[in-house]
Amino acid sequence: MKDLAAQFASALPQDQDGGSGWVGVLRRSGAQRFRLHGLPTRKDEAWKYTGLGLFGQTGTRLGIAGESFGSDVATPVVEPDLQVNVLDGCMRGLEVELPSGVSVVPLQDALDTGFSGLQTLLESLPESPRAKPSSDGFTALNSATLGAGVVIHVAAGTNAGRILLNWSTTAGDHSRFFNSRVCLMLDHGAKLDLLEQFESPHKLPNTCNIVVQADLAKGATLKHVRLQQESEKAGLITRTEVSQQADSEYNYFGFDLGGGLVRHDLHTSLKGNGAKTHLNGAYLLDGKRLVDNHARVDHIAPNGSSEQYFRGVAGGSGKAVFNTSVCVHPGADETEALQSNANILLSARAEIDTKPELEIYADEVIASHGATVGQLDEQAIFYLRSRGLSQEQARQILTTAFCRSVSDRLDDRELAEAISGRMMDVMPQAE
Amino acid sequence: MSSMLQIKNLHASIGGKEILKGLNLEVKKGEIHAIMGPNGAGKSTLGNVLAGREGYEVTQGEVLFNGRNLLELEPEERACEGVFLAFQYPVEIPGVNNTYFLRAALNAQRKYRGEAELDSVGFLRLVREKLEVLHIGDELLHRAVNEGFSGGEKKRNEIFQMAVLGPVLAILDETDSGLDIDALKTVAEGVNRLRSNDRAMIVITHYQRLLDYIVPDTVHVLADGKLAATGGADLALKLEEQGYAWLEDGGIEILGGARTGQAATP
Repeated sequence: MKDLAAQFASALPQDQDGGSGWVGVLRRSGAQRFRLHGLPTRKDEAWKYTGLGLFGQTGTRLGIAGESFGSDVATPVVEPDLQVNVLDGCMRGLEVELPSGVSVVPLQDALDTGFSGLQTLLESLPESPRAKPSSDGFTALNSATLGAGVVIHVAAGTNAGRILLNWSTTAGDHSRFFNSRVCLMLDHGAKLDLLEQFESPHKLPNTCNIVVQADLAKGATLKHVRLQQESEKAGLITRTEVSQQADSEYNYFGFDLGGGLVRHDLHTSLKGNGAKTHLNGAYLLDGKRLVDNHARVDHIAPNGSSEQYFRGVAGGSGKAVFNTSVCVHPGADETEALQSNANILLSARAEIDTKPELEIYADEVIASHGATVGQLDEQAIFYLRSRGLSQEQARQILTTAFCRSVSDRLDDRELAEAISGRMMDVMPQAE
Repeated sequence: MSSMLQIKNLHASIGGKEILKGLNLEVKKGEIHAIMGPNGAGKSTLGNVLAGREGYEVTQGEVLFNGRNLLELEPEERACEGVFLAFQYPVEIPGVNNTYFLRAALNAQRKYRGEAELDSVGFLRLVREKLEVLHIGDELLHRAVNEGFSGGEKKRNEIFQMAVLGPVLAILDETDSGLDIDALKTVAEGVNRLRSNDRAMIVITHYQRLLDYIVPDTVHVLADGKLAATGGADLALKLEEQGYAWLEDGGIEILGGARTGQAATP
């Protein structure tokens, strides 16, 4: 992995490069940190279960922003109000008129034009929150190459409807590693239903390293659905940082149905009184795939509530890592924080590492956490078989129901049905 | 008339402990047999062995169902051949819709028998018809299988499944347990409506009261893994009066003609 980090580092801006002004400062600082600490290794606590072997095998090189070799994207899982194609991390121009109060701009354009509020948002990203700086090597790399990506701004009181970010990577003469940044700014009372679809039509051995930063002003609501169905050769590293002001609501639904090496650091900070967060996710793995979710909720202000609901199924030699932590800071009284993670192992070679963490430094807090790893309920299998269903059908029905408990939490029937159909299609087989 | 079910010298154990110790039973088309007995006699084991639940080891004897060796078949094959077990404790399956499950099950059975699968319209027509016959509302249809059902609802759901799947041999395992008298009557009425000349039933129960509503052709007493007595419907009444204690002191003579392990002779 050292070689890969060195190869990436050589492609990054030198001290004198990186552009002028605050953007140049961000890039250079990222490059400097990356040169110093490189990529995370298994010696980092946060990467203990997750090796980066996939990149080494495929001879990955750092992709150049804007150097795309195609334009294919997947068919949207449901019809959005607005579709935004993001190829190799770069947003393609829009040819539609946007409703008033909604801006969707390629990040580079927004940087060039000094998009209002963008500097504050980008500079607010905690660059290295973990004890070991190398744990955040991907963020450093992302900052060092800042430029490709998407900016969405929703003005006060505006409902932006459903915006789809349709992510795809294109063919090149070698496998490439793309960096991209998504900036979401929701003003007072604004609403956005963001759907991200990761489903490159050509099963290429590319990787995207994406940082999503969301700033929710008072009373804003962000629904964030992510459907990831990349090929087993593809990698996806994401970090989502959400900052929530009073009475704002963040609802996340992540469905990891594909990808060879998938890592998501999902972090939300409830900074204002009465903010709410719901983090939901399902991950289904087989083959030699690895999906690693690290979710963290920081309750900083009082009267907030958070719920984490994740379900996982691993078959073949698949490996799932789930780490969920909640910290209720001093003063965040009357907080409610619930964590639930259940997993089903379908084969003896599959592995699931789950770890819930809970720290409470406030009063009058309601908190619960539970993490289980088990097999399918044999009683239920027998019940279904005793009615005429085969063992295979019975298992399929039970695992699908298990995962549906996540998609059924969506308040949108059409999307819930579409996603549960996708889950049935990729359901790992029992061995 | 030939026998639908023939159980010969059946020995079965669970976890190395022998529960059934040489059971003989013969059931013909159209008959209802009640199997009564004290707790631990092996009543539920019999139902589970017939349905093919894992964990039970048959060490001796055989079970023929319409001439086929039933014990060789997988649980789903037994179901497809027409064996139905109404569970003593129906399993809750969160997230699986009752209608979806039942249609998948019925179509699996139809496919096995070489019949065309029912589409959703045809299936719903069948379901409505059965609901009407059983006087059950359609609220069960929209819920997850048994999830959050009351004891009575679970048992009614078993009978409803039986009506839709239309088995030739139904085994009702303590269908009366945990039911109040009204729920018991509803369930019994449902069962009676499914009585037919082509269908046999084995009603396993601890108490006589269910047999006030489902009147059997033959009553067997199962004790210590074997049939200890066999008689007509009046045998159940006798048991009600005398309890099961007489079994322990060789009370077989009290019942006159009935003999240990004797197959039913209608």
